[in-house]
Amino acid sequence: MFKKAILVAATITAAGLLHAQIINKVPLSQRITGYTIDVKLDTAAKTVSGSIDAFWVNNSPDKVPDIQLHMYMNAFKSKNTTLYRESGGSPGKKESDKGWINLISFTDRRGNDLIPLMRFISPDDDNPADSTVLRVMLPEPVKPGDTVYIHAEFETKLPSRIRRTGFAGEFFFVAQWFPKFGVYEPAGMRYREKSGWNCHQFHANSEFYANHSVYDVKITLPERYVVGSGGIVMNESPAGSNLKTLSVRAEDIVDFAWTAWPGYEVYTDRWEHVDITLLLPGVRKKQVERQFTAVKNALEYFAETVGPYPWPHLTFVDPPTIGAGAGGMEYTTLFTSISSDRMPEWLHLPEMVTVHEFGHAYFMGILATNEFEEPWMDEGMNSFWEARIMDHYWGENSGLINHPRLQIADKSYSRNAYVRSANRQVITNNEYSWNYPAGTYGMMSYNKVTVWLYTLMGIIGEETTNEVFREYYRQWAFKHPAGQDFINVVNEVVQRIHGNKFGPDMNWFFEQTLYGTGICDYKAAGYRNIRIASEKEKAEDDSLSKDKPGRNDSLYKAIVQMHRLGEVILPVEVLIHFENGDEILEIWDGRDRYKELTYTGHGKVKWFKIDPEYKIRMDVNFINNSLTAEPDNVPVRRITNKLISLMQFYLSIITL
Amino acid sequence: MNVFKSLGSGAVRALRSWKCVLIVWFVTLLIVSLFVIPVKGIMKTGFGSSTITELLRNGINIDVILDLEKYLSGIISYLASGLFLFLLIGIIVYSFFAGGLFKSVSNPAETLSVPCFFRASAKYFWYCLGLWFMISLIILISGVLIIGLPVGLISQSEKSAGNLLPIAAIVCGSLFIIWLLILLLVADYSRAWLISAEKPALFKAFGFGFSTTFSHFGPSFLMMLMIMILMVLFGWLASSIIGIWKPETGGGVFILFLVSQLLFFIKIMLKTWRYGSVTTLMEINKTLTQ
Repeated sequence: MFKKAILVAATITAAGLLHAQIINKVPLSQRITGYTIDVKLDTAAKTVSGSIDAFWVNNSPDKVPDIQLHMYMNAFKSKNTTLYRESGGSPGKKESDKGWINLISFTDRRGNDLIPLMRFISPDDDNPADSTVLRVMLPEPVKPGDTVYIHAEFETKLPSRIRRTGFAGEFFFVAQWFPKFGVYEPAGMRYREKSGWNCHQFHANSEFYANHSVYDVKITLPERYVVGSGGIVMNESPAGSNLKTLSVRAEDIVDFAWTAWPGYEVYTDRWEHVDITLLLPGVRKKQVERQFTAVKNALEYFAETVGPYPWPHLTFVDPPTIGAGAGGMEYTTLFTSISSDRMPEWLHLPEMVTVHEFGHAYFMGILATNEFEEPWMDEGMNSFWEARIMDHYWGENSGLINHPRLQIADKSYSRNAYVRSANRQVITNNEYSWNYPAGTYGMMSYNKVTVWLYTLMGIIGEETTNEVFREYYRQWAFKHPAGQDFINVVNEVVQRIHGNKFGPDMNWFFEQTLYGTGICDYKAAGYRNIRIASEKEKAEDDSLSKDKPGRNDSLYKAIVQMHRLGEVILPVEVLIHFENGDEILEIWDGRDRYKELTYTGHGKVKWFKIDPEYKIRMDVNFINNSLTAEPDNVPVRRITNKLISLMQFYLSIITL
Repeated sequence: MNVFKSLGSGAVRALRSWKCVLIVWFVTLLIVSLFVIPVKGIMKTGFGSSTITELLRNGINIDVILDLEKYLSGIISYLASGLFLFLLIGIIVYSFFAGGLFKSVSNPAETLSVPCFFRASAKYFWYCLGLWFMISLIILISGVLIIGLPVGLISQSEKSAGNLLPIAAIVCGSLFIIWLLILLLVADYSRAWLISAEKPALFKAFGFGFSTTFSHFGPSFLMMLMIMILMVLFGWLASSIIGIWKPETGGGVFILFLVSQLLFFIKIMLKTWRYGSVTTLMEINKTLTQ
């Protein structure tokens, strides 16, 4: 009884501490869940073991009979887990290669043993070999407003094949490593008709979904290890036997991960209110400035166009080559980039990854959408912002590659990944992440979304797009919006700024792009200039006008023909240029499969372009968007000439 | 001293061979053009009457190029399938002309006539082709052994901080370049010997190439190193000019064509200078030995 009383007091104290304001002046989120973790890293056994105290507040109007916890690390337990079944891989042959998480003891606030009440479930695929979701029937249901406290002693074994998490030699990246609450969604939240836990298994093609939480984490490990995490180190103290203990706190984030490696060098910088820490191998010192520039550009751009970065700290890691599998992943206030010891300046890969992973702090971290069920809301939106930022700061046509001989914009990469994919029409964006057919997840979740968001921006304008995202942030930060919530914001903002210019709402756009599989392809089919009787000819019997010299008043009926080849109907601009220099800019609603525009006047059509500024980036073929009588073949001749020279030099070299 | 003497004499011999170099340049242009011109045709068909090519004015635009779709696939499959035939023809033609070029630089006092150039080319064709084949095979195998194997093994077994792989790649790459220069010397000495021999023989030439390279390694290697540094610098300059220059008018493209062909002519001239220098050094070595 005494023991139980101590436990209750301890958990309540822990919960109280978790609600305290240490980092953020006011809570950013509801803090429905919180975690106090005290662990030791065994660098020889590759395990992290210790205790966890956690709580979940039932903020629904329901009596909830159970809790559900993610036990992600069990995904690395065998080749039969859902992760490896879907990916076709294996955790490795040796026992030391595998990863798992074991609960040694598990009790509630009264000290009731929960182990007999727990069982693993597979809500997504009924895979009996998967143990990444744990359901615990509580001794009694949780009333609305009540809090569930749990205490567990646990041991996590890290996997050797780093798939975001794991170890390689002395390198550790510790993510998805502790028992973590799923999200209890009351009816009405997102698409919920009935209340229930949203707690999905660990899939090959999926990321995560969690409540914003406060984390107080104590990590004990060898002194020589350098540690980076998503929190702020509150205290560091020796723990004897060449060990040290770090006390780390993080507030209002959806996941807590950390890394430890003796080879890290630590660099710090500051942007406005944000203290930035970068960990990377010493040999990559040259990358430091590039990395800080990238992250500060991203901070600036997001703050201006979406909303403020609310935390005062940010840590990012450029893992060593042996830990490359941990690169390119986000944990809100901690993320990992990718680079190499020698990275040419013209290749903006490190910048691109840094900007991308930082961007997740907004879509995965602040807005905290459900990445399992609506991956487009995180990866897609974030890729759109990544492309905008890269092309804004590193050149409109050179966001990705800026070599004197080759420039590639970030937005071009996304468009081509989508447009050139043979699978671009096999599935919509409105799909759970693990349901995407092989090879389509990345293209659909990242690239197609980027392309249709660019297209949306092309239609409603850049400033309106920024205002949409500012409003989205204002309304939904720390509230887990669904796709429909975003659409509602678009409708609201577009209506406010443009009135009925695009109709009563923008649903027509999302039905075709987000929920549709059609392609967009407009074609300039042809044009004709028909000479019609001129005023002069009509009046040829008129002796007064007949003899006026130099008068060219021939009239032409110019007809421009356009086709809509794809299923997607979007309004497009059409620019018609006449030989006399006149230009007419029209808007075609794009509804008809065939459209003719007719002009009568003194000018003959010289060329015309559909979507002259290439704003409709969903269009799968830009080449057929325009027609001219005098195509400019100079670039083709130039390319051919260069190819000839290249082949000549190559031939001369290989023939000794 | 002999090195500079050889380089000077080689330059004179190369300049005297300008007619032969001109023939090589013209034939190369012909072969390459025959191979590349269809690409131009496919691209023009692909772009049709579109105004999209305006986006290519500042260089390659990946959106535009990839929108060529089936035409781009056509270009890629054409280049891929035609490349083997193109290289085969190129190697045969260059092996043919190698004999002529070596003959043209073999006599410092005399300019080789065009008929003599072709006669010499024909006479030594099979020997030069055989030498090319053997040296290329050695380059290929040694490339695998010197670079592929160590770098591959290190990358597979890497457990450290990741510093070893780039260091290994640099060391192996440098070793391979040194070895490549030695093999070029072997090839050049072999061909120079063939031209001077009363009874040319492939394996004798090959043996002579190796033995001369290593028996006079110092001056030979130094000379080849100097020539190759110059050639690499020239190659870098030429590729920079051709690569970065983006003329926007038809006249500009024509000037680009003229300049790029002039640069290629100089490239062949430099190669001939190498042949002449090695031939001279061989003659000097021979005199010293006697």
